[in-house]
Amino acid sequence: MTPPVLEVQDLSISFGGLKAVAGFGLTLRPGALEGLIGPNGAGKTTVFNLLSGVYTADSGRFVLDGADLRGFSAYRISHAGIARTFQNIRVFSHLTVLENVLVGFHQSIRYGYWDAFLLTGRFRNDEAAMEQQALALLERVGLASRAGDNARDLPYGDQRRLEIARALATHPKVLLLDEPAAGLNTVEKEQLMGLIAKIRDEFKVAILVIEHDMKLVMGICERITVLDHGEVIATGTPKEIQSNPKVIEAYLGVS
Amino acid sequence: MSAPSQNAGFLKQATITAVFIAVLWGVDQLLQIGLNPYYVRVVVNCGIAAILALSLNLINGCAGQFSLGHAGFMAVGAYVSATLTTVYPAGEFFQSPLGVGVAITIGGIVAALAGYLVGLPSLRLKGDYLAIVTLGFSEMIRVCFLNIPAVGGARGMNGIPVHSSFFWVYLWAALAWVFFWRLLRSGRGRAILALRDDETAAEAMGVEVSHFKVVSFSLSSAFAGIAGGLFAHYQGFIDPQSFDFSRSVLVVIMVVLGGMGSLSGAVLGAVVVTVLPESLRVFESYRLIIFPLVLILMMLLRPKGILGHREIWEFFPRRAK
Ligand SMILES: Nc1ncnc2c1ncn2[C@@H]1O[C@H](COP(=O)(O)OP(=O)(O)OP(=O)(O)O)[C@@H](O)[C@H]1O
Ligand SMILES: [Mg+2]
Repeated sequence: MTPPVLEVQDLSISFGGLKAVAGFGLTLRPGALEGLIGPNGAGKTTVFNLLSGVYTADSGRFVLDGADLRGFSAYRISHAGIARTFQNIRVFSHLTVLENVLVGFHQSIRYGYWDAFLLTGRFRNDEAAMEQQALALLERVGLASRAGDNARDLPYGDQRRLEIARALATHPKVLLLDEPAAGLNTVEKEQLMGLIAKIRDEFKVAILVIEHDMKLVMGICERITVLDHGEVIATGTPKEIQSNPKVIEAYLGVS
Repeated sequence: MSAPSQNAGFLKQATITAVFIAVLWGVDQLLQIGLNPYYVRVVVNCGIAAILALSLNLINGCAGQFSLGHAGFMAVGAYVSATLTTVYPAGEFFQSPLGVGVAITIGGIVAALAGYLVGLPSLRLKGDYLAIVTLGFSEMIRVCFLNIPAVGGARGMNGIPVHSSFFWVYLWAALAWVFFWRLLRSGRGRAILALRDDETAAEAMGVEVSHFKVVSFSLSSAFAGIAGGLFAHYQGFIDPQSFDFSRSVLVVIMVVLGGMGSLSGAVLGAVVVTVLPESLRVFESYRLIIFPLVLILMMLLRPKGILGHREIWEFFPRRAK
């Protein structure tokens, strides 16, 4: 079996007295497409915040390709290869759609300030190449026609896809998607899930997706982890999860 | 891209630069012959103000920070360059026009270092709190100069060689424009603009936010320092009062009035804030009331500044190609 690209062990964080995440563990193999589900307030977004360096875990570790990243700041985790989107959309609202994706290419920039100031060939070549790659990413998520528009003028669904393109620009090994289908209608949701599966295949990236719609998650994810009150209550294939009494209890709210 | 076209691009840039310098020099000569010295003074002050506004725009308009201490960096540039040319002239060199240019550049570099130090609190503070800290820093700088007898203390410095002129001020202003324009259209500039919109997202995209905040402060202060040097060597005289709180406020007004984040807006704001009090001189001391009233009125009419976030030419419909 291939070694895992991401291995999370015993990750915990408390806010004041509240244990938001306790003893979280997960293993992602390269190219995996897995789901993270759980009732509202279960701690799903907090897990993403820990894995992307927005918060630093109180204890535990998460190892990406052999390097423990706990305690790293967010930009270094991004450089290492974990990218994410946000549940509460965070596009750069005053930048254009294209510029948003170009920011994602930040760490690929090789030219210096002087190149930019003197408009050297190196600067022009690098910028032209990045722009082409950015346009290709926008094409991939279906936003190429809106490249020149301000990001804040896009409908929410498009802003979420823009966040996906922007995250892919960082060349991630692991992509964390926080409710990418929120606010979409049923047809759009299915299209988006199809897109996510294709992205996994084309970019050879492992994807962990948070989604409330059970049917959708069950449809595309190979494995699912269920959180409740900050703790993992089940992990397994969609089939196993569906028939797990603990999961049913958590979702029916019998506690 | 092939080598010849790169060379062609370089040649084109060099030609444009040469023509620009020639035109600037020609206009300078004409102004000296043709225009009332009072008007020349106003025009030159506009250029200095434009450099100040363009540079502050990087911090307050582009990086989304709030500095209220630009006069402090201007003071550093002014005092450092004037000290080199006046108090401890390193030989004849610093008295020559070229030497003055070098001194002004050194003043800019020292101001950049000061900007780096003042930028550090921006890593922890935001908005009003940051504004108060930057204000405190600039007042500290001013009080330092006030208490150094070698640079004249409260009396200030006299006899600074007057070697800055319309030509030099506008050459530096053009350089500032090109510098900030190209910076903002590069990857580093995009990183700065991104952190203004959303620090968390910028950091998640691999942008080291703390680095770019401090860089914004340093680059901005460098040009504030240069503006200070030009100011000192145009007036021939400086004192600590030239760099007090009110000057910082005026530069903030220029940026806010023109439209935050817009380079042409910063220049426009600089011109309005410089020319308006002059054109109100007919009202004598009433202008002290009329000037703020006009500013308030303008902000009421256009709360996002005259140009908003946009550049001036974006207001004109583009010709169809
Ligand atoms: N910065 C914070 N400070 C205090 N409490 C927090 C913080 N972040 C999250 N929490 C708390 O941690 C718990 C888990 O929140 P989290 O956002 O991770 O839930 P979630 O599973 O993503 O929920 P949803 O499905 O509503 O998005 C909640 O009780 C929340 O109030
Ligand atoms: Mg959430």
